Amino acid sequence: MASVSQPSQSAPFRRLIRQIEPSFYIAPSFVVMVVILIYPLGYSLWLSFHRWTLRTFKQGIPFVGLENYQQLFSSPEFWSSLRITFTFVILAILFEFILGMGLALLLNHDLKAKGLIRSFILLPMMCTNVVIGLTWRLLFNYEFGILNYYLNQLGFASVEWLSSPKVALWSVILVDVWNTTSFVALMLLAGLQSLPEEPFEAARIDGANSVQTFLYLTLPLLRQTILVALLWRLIDTFRIFDVVYLLTAGGPARATETVSIYIYRYGFQSFNLGFASAASYVMIVIMLALAGVMARAIGRSETL
Amino acid sequence: MSPYRLLRYLSRLGIYMLLILAVILSLAPLVYLFLTSFKEPNLTFSLPPVWIFKPTLQNYREVLAGGQFEKYFVNSLVVALSTTAIALSLGGLAAYGFSRFRFRGAFWLRMSALIPQMLPPITIIVPLYVLFNGLRLLDTRWALIISYLTFTIPLALWMMIGFFDDVPIELEEAAMIDGCTRLGALVRVSLPLVAPGLAATAILAFLYCWNEFLYAVILTGREARTLPVTITSFMTNKAILWGRIAASGSMVLVPVLAFALLAQRYLVRGLSRGAIK
Repeated sequence: MASVSQPSQSAPFRRLIRQIEPSFYIAPSFVVMVVILIYPLGYSLWLSFHRWTLRTFKQGIPFVGLENYQQLFSSPEFWSSLRITFTFVILAILFEFILGMGLALLLNHDLKAKGLIRSFILLPMMCTNVVIGLTWRLLFNYEFGILNYYLNQLGFASVEWLSSPKVALWSVILVDVWNTTSFVALMLLAGLQSLPEEPFEAARIDGANSVQTFLYLTLPLLRQTILVALLWRLIDTFRIFDVVYLLTAGGPARATETVSIYIYRYGFQSFNLGFASAASYVMIVIMLALAGVMARAIGRSETL
Repeated sequence: MSPYRLLRYLSRLGIYMLLILAVILSLAPLVYLFLTSFKEPNLTFSLPPVWIFKPTLQNYREVLAGGQFEKYFVNSLVVALSTTAIALSLGGLAAYGFSRFRFRGAFWLRMSALIPQMLPPITIIVPLYVLFNGLRLLDTRWALIISYLTFTIPLALWMMIGFFDDVPIELEEAAMIDGCTRLGALVRVSLPLVAPGLAATAILAFLYCWNEFLYAVILTGREARTLPVTITSFMTNKAILWGRIAASGSMVLVPVLAFALLAQRYLVRGLSRGAIK
């Protein structure tokens, strides 16, 4: 009785509509993304096999085959920038997870003013990287910075935060830890709060102490959250540019020259865009390979 | 007091102390920057550091002199707002599509939208620079809006899928039975329900654009420059003008931080979403 008939539309026509309906919603963003991403990426792949320098591009952009890649792989500076980037990625993420887990465990108690504490801790994460870099540069100043002043007051010697090749990378790591530990903590806290309660009650009844509970229960149950947070931090640290650029600009003696800074130097200081494109592609391949490994680990942890 | 309760009390005290330490460490550099912005330039590097001084607005006056800063402030605002609006409409629509329809290839399509977020910006800037140069778009707001869409559309898409998933499909079906079209049901029923999610996504997208530096420093010059680039212009060849850096830095930070504090309930929800997804 209540059947709604639409005589003007035949059944196959309606099925067709139903099949293409999703694309009405999804197509616009994908078309835009393809235009603004695939096109540039294709272009830079093309560029990476050509010579484009500021001096010569008016005369044409000659095909040079693999020359840019050969040059790249035989450049010790490139390898050193990779090593520096990975050192930074591993150490920064390690400290952020240790401290972030600590913070998350602290915040997981039933506390007064929890919201207030959480929002204060989150502030560094919202800050403009440029301001962060410059503020820390001010704090790190060797002669007049307040860090060295208070270190001296406590009886320690001044530290060459940014001017010593041995220390500079650690300073960059310190700033990144200050900047993003709260992000890790927040993600881990969200994970902790979504854990089921029964296993923990069972562990308490069985007499497990808190270290055992943490190692054998909390950590494995948090596996997926940890992996997702790890993936985000990996993506974010691997590309680091702003803070390094403003703290040290890659110096001293290239001790903090990450891959992004390396590409920037070749692309926008010597304007060797073919070479910079080749380096970019190597960077993309490494990033996607790492992300692929992580994504598979996340996928596997879902089925556990 | 029994020993057990004393222990409990002490451990709570310890927790609060550690958290207060974390808060102090998080805020101290920002407070220091803020204080520096009100110091006479010759006090910036006075030793021992002065914490109590007669505040001056001199740095702010110097930054604002000439009217350039206001112009770049407008640039920052226009770029961030337009990018957020475009990304939210496109990404939100796509998220709705992924959340409401099951179709072949949906999973892979959804996964492929993550790839743009993994690409390091420096790798996209090189070709974008050449392309914008050819299109005469260098040093325009459009160059920045287009580049920022590369990361804000995927962000909006992924965040909004989760928020749409939270809205029961039955509500829309009920509206459709009552005679709404699907689009009508989306606008009248679902959109109001995902408004908090939309707000969280918008705030995050805005923050990313507002804070962005690498694209801005390469793709813009005198005209379309944004605030983060403007701050670095106070590092001249001769000297680093710390007073002006602190003043302009505070002007960039304070509005967003204040806003982030007010809207933190939404922000936290949006940020922690990714963790449990």
